[in-house]
Amino acid sequence: MNFTNAFSLLSDYAEPYAWFPQSASTFSETNDWLYNWITYTCLVFFIPIVFALVYFSVKYKKPKGTKAESNVAHNTILELTWSIGPSFFLVGMFILGARAYLDQRDVPDGANEINVQAFKWGWTMDYGSGVFHPELHILLDEPVKLSMRSTDVIHSLYVPAFRAKKDIVPGRYNYMWFKPTVANERVSDAELAAAVKETKDLGETWNYDKHQFTPDGYRFFDLYCTEYCGTNHSEMQTVVVVHETLKDLTDWISANSVRPDGTPPAEYGEKLYKNRGCAGCHSVDGSKRVGPSFGGLYGRDEEMTVGGSVKADENYLRESILYPKEKIVAGYQPVMPSYKGQLSDDDIYSIVEYLKTLSSGDAAK
Amino acid sequence: MSAGSIPKGSVVRDPGYPTESENYLTNSKGVLSWVFTLDHKRIGVMYLIGVTLAFGFAGLLALLIRLHLFQPEGAIFKGAEANNYYNQVFTLHGAVMVFLFIIPSVPAALGNFLVPVMLGAKDVAFPRLNLCSFYLWCVGAVFFIAALFSTGLDTGWTFYTPYSTTTDTSVIAATMGAFILGFSSIFTGLNFIVTINTMRPPGMTWFRMPLFLWATYSTSIIQVLATPVLGITLLLLIAERTMHIGIFDPEFNGDPVTYQHFFWFYSHPAVYIMILPAFGIISDLISVHSHKRIFGYRFIAYSSIAIALLGFLVWGHHMFTAGMSPLTTIVFSALTFTVSVPSAIKVFNWLATMYKGSISLTTPMCFAIAFIFLFTIGGLTGLHLGTLATDMHLHDTYFVVAHFHYVMVGGTLIAFLGGVFHWWPKMFGKMYSEFGGRLAALIIFIGFNLTFLPQFVLGSRGMPRRYATYDPEFAYLHQMSTYGALLLGVGLLVALVVLLTSLVKGKKAPANPWGGATLEWHCTSPPPFYNFERAPVVGDPYDFSNVEWDDENERYVSTEPERKLVPGETPEAVPAHAKDTH
Repeated sequence: MNFTNAFSLLSDYAEPYAWFPQSASTFSETNDWLYNWITYTCLVFFIPIVFALVYFSVKYKKPKGTKAESNVAHNTILELTWSIGPSFFLVGMFILGARAYLDQRDVPDGANEINVQAFKWGWTMDYGSGVFHPELHILLDEPVKLSMRSTDVIHSLYVPAFRAKKDIVPGRYNYMWFKPTVANERVSDAELAAAVKETKDLGETWNYDKHQFTPDGYRFFDLYCTEYCGTNHSEMQTVVVVHETLKDLTDWISANSVRPDGTPPAEYGEKLYKNRGCAGCHSVDGSKRVGPSFGGLYGRDEEMTVGGSVKADENYLRESILYPKEKIVAGYQPVMPSYKGQLSDDDIYSIVEYLKTLSSGDAAK
Repeated sequence: MSAGSIPKGSVVRDPGYPTESENYLTNSKGVLSWVFTLDHKRIGVMYLIGVTLAFGFAGLLALLIRLHLFQPEGAIFKGAEANNYYNQVFTLHGAVMVFLFIIPSVPAALGNFLVPVMLGAKDVAFPRLNLCSFYLWCVGAVFFIAALFSTGLDTGWTFYTPYSTTTDTSVIAATMGAFILGFSSIFTGLNFIVTINTMRPPGMTWFRMPLFLWATYSTSIIQVLATPVLGITLLLLIAERTMHIGIFDPEFNGDPVTYQHFFWFYSHPAVYIMILPAFGIISDLISVHSHKRIFGYRFIAYSSIAIALLGFLVWGHHMFTAGMSPLTTIVFSALTFTVSVPSAIKVFNWLATMYKGSISLTTPMCFAIAFIFLFTIGGLTGLHLGTLATDMHLHDTYFVVAHFHYVMVGGTLIAFLGGVFHWWPKMFGKMYSEFGGRLAALIIFIGFNLTFLPQFVLGSRGMPRRYATYDPEFAYLHQMSTYGALLLGVGLLVALVVLLTSLVKGKKAPANPWGGATLEWHCTSPPPFYNFERAPVVGDPYDFSNVEWDDENERYVSTEPERKLVPGETPEAVPAHAKDTH
C-alpha cells in the first residue's frame, strides 16, 4: 500500500509481466504478439501526432492580432493520403485478428470435453461419472473444450493466463477451447499442511489469494466471471489447475469423486456446501444473503411466500434442493437452480446431516 | 504584447454592448420568465445548469467508486451489503453520466444556445418543443433519483437481461427515466434538423455553416433515427419484467442476446451522439484560436456524416464474446475498423490547421490541445478492441473501461469544457481569469491521465470490470488510479470556481474576445434576446483576414475597407406632382 510502489511499473515496464499475466496457452503467444504489434503501430502514429501538437503550439504561438502565415484551405492529395494510408494497417489488424479468432473458435478433434455450469455466484465443473468440483483441472498440452451453460443470468468465463473468454448465456450452450502450455506446480507438503492448519484454526474458508495455491496444494491460474451478474459478481472466481501428467489429474479426480469410506456424512456435507455453490447464497452464521441462512435452519418453522409455514425437516430440505422453486421462504426470490441429477442421494443425505450440525440441540430433535 | 493594428481608414464593425433591456439574461425578470421562456438561449442556460448538476452528482459517485477500490477488499463500503452498495454506485454513475450528462451536454446545453445564433436565426424552429424537451429531461432525472432512493438499481447502465428482468431493484423506474430522456433527446434532434434545414438566412449555404453545425446536424440525425429503438427496447424490457412476454428472458423462451442487439443498435450510435458534437467544438476552437482557416472543411464535414451513418453498422462489436456466429463476428469487426478512418481524418485536419497558424494559448485552446492528445489515445486503443483475437482477452476488462473513458471524458467532457470556456463570455458577458482557466486545464489533463492510463495496464493484465473487490496483485495500479481521480476532481472544481467567480468579478466581455468569424461573434455579448435585428450578412465562417485585434479596447473587431459612397441626391421636400398645383 505504498505510494511509490504504485509507480513500480515505470521501472519494470520491459518485463513481460508488466503488461500481461503469465502466458500459459497456445492463444496467448499470438494474442500478445498481436497486441504488441497494434500498440507499436499506434505509437508510429501517436508519437508524430503529439510531436506536431506540441511543436506547433510552441512554434506558432503568436501575439494577439498576428495573422496566420498561411491560409491554405485544403490539399486533396495530402488529405487522401492520410485518409487511405492508415487503412492498410487497419486491414492488417483485421485480417490477423480474424484469423487468430477463427483459430479460437475451431475446436480441434479429440479435445477433452468438460461441462461447465455457471450460477450466481459460482462454478461447477462436471468431470463425468458424478464428479463435480468448482475448480477447473485440466491436462498439460491437451486441448480442452468447455461446454458451458448458465442456470440464471449471463456469466462469462475468463482465464487471463490463457487469453480466453466466452460469455455463458442462459437458454443456450456456449463453448470455448484452449490448450494449456504451462503446468502448475505443487507446493511442498509441509507448506500445504501449515496453510491447511492455519485455515482450520482461524475457522475460515480457504483463501486462494493469500496462499496462492489450492487446498490440494496446487499453484493455479485465476478464472474470473467477467459479465456483470449481480451482487457478488466480483466473488465469482475460481481457479484453473494444469496437471503435468494424466495420472496426476485422474488421481485428483478420483480423490474428489464420492464420499470416501469412513468420512462422516456431516463432514462430507460441509465439503459439498463449500464446493457445490451453496456457500454463495446461504450463510451458516444466521446472516441473510440471497437465500435463507443454514444456521439453525434444520427443524425451524419457515414462513412461506404463499402464506402458512413449513417445518424445515429432512423432506423439506431434500425437496428444496431438488425442486427449489416449489416452496419459497417469505422474503426471498425463487432464484435457486435445481440440483436434480447433480447430487446423489448420498450427497443430499450428507448435506442434510451437515445442516443438522448447524442447528442447536433442541430444534434438531 | 500585441501586434494588432487596425489598418488606417478601415471601418470597424463592432456591435458594442447590449443594453439591459436587450440582454437576453435581463430583458425580463422573475422566476416565471425563465420557467416559461421560449428563448433558446435561456433554455440552453437551464440545460447547462442541469447537466452540470448531474455531472457533479455522478462525478461524486465516481470518486466513491475509486475510493472504494483503493483496497482490494474494498475501502468504503463494508459489511454484508458492501458489494450491493458498490454495484448500485457504479450503475448510477454510468446511467447518470450517460443519460443525464454526456448525451445532452453538448447538443442540448451548448447546441441550444449556439445553433440559432451561429446560423443567423432568431430561434429554433419549434421553441415550445424545445422547452418541452428540457422539462422531459427534468422528469427523466427525477425518475433516476427515485430509482436511487427506492430500492437502488444494480444492473449496470446497460440493463442486460436476464439480470435486469430478475433483480428486485428499481429497474422499471430507471428504464422509464431513460425512456423519457430518449424523447427529450429526440425532440432536441428534430428541432435542430428542422432549424438547420429551413431557417438558414440568405447566403448561409450548407458549406458556409460552421463545422459545429455540421456536427450538430449529424448528431441530430442519429438522435432521431436511433433513440426510438432504445425506447422500444426499454418498453419491451418493462413488458418482460411485468408480463413475461418471453422475448428476452430464457425462462419464458426468450433470448437475452436479442436484448443486447437491440440495446447496442441504439447505444453504439449513441457513442457518436456523445463524440460528434465534441468534434464540432474542437474544429471551431482550433480554427479560431489558431486564427487560421480550418484545413479540409469538406473532409471534416463529410467525415461527420460518414461517422453518423457508419456508426449504425457496428453495434455488434460490443458482443464479440456473446456467442454470435463467427461470420457475423468477423463482419462486425471489419465494419468497426471502417469507423476509425473518419475519426483519424479529423485529427490530421486539426493538426494541419494549427500548422503555420497564429496560435493563442487561451484556455479553450489548451482544452482543445488536451482533447487531441486524449482522444487520439482513446481512438487508437479502440483498435486493440476491434481486433478480434485481442478483444477476446480485453473484452469486459479495465482496458475497455480506460478506452471509453478516454473517448467520453478525455473526448467529450474536455471538448465540452473547452466549449464552455470558449463561449462563456458570449453566454454571460463576462471574462474569466485566463490563469485560472489554464491551471484547471492542466490539472484536469494530468489527473485524467493518472486515473485512466493505469487502467489500460490493469486491463491487459486481466482485471475484470465491475468488480467490487479484486485480487491483491492489482492493488498498486488501482491506487494510482484513485490518486488520479482525486486530482481530476480538484481540477474540475478549479474550473467551476474560475467560471463562477467570473460572474461576480469578471471583466465585461467584448462582442468578439477570441477573434472568431462565425456569426455568434457578430452580436453582442451576451446576445440580445432577438439575436439579430435582421438577417445577418453571412460571410465565410473561417475567413479571419478581416478580423483585427483592437489593442486599445482589448477586443477583436471585424474591419472592412473604407468605402466611398456616391453622395445621394437630397430628396426635395415637396413631391414633384404636388408642385404643379401651384
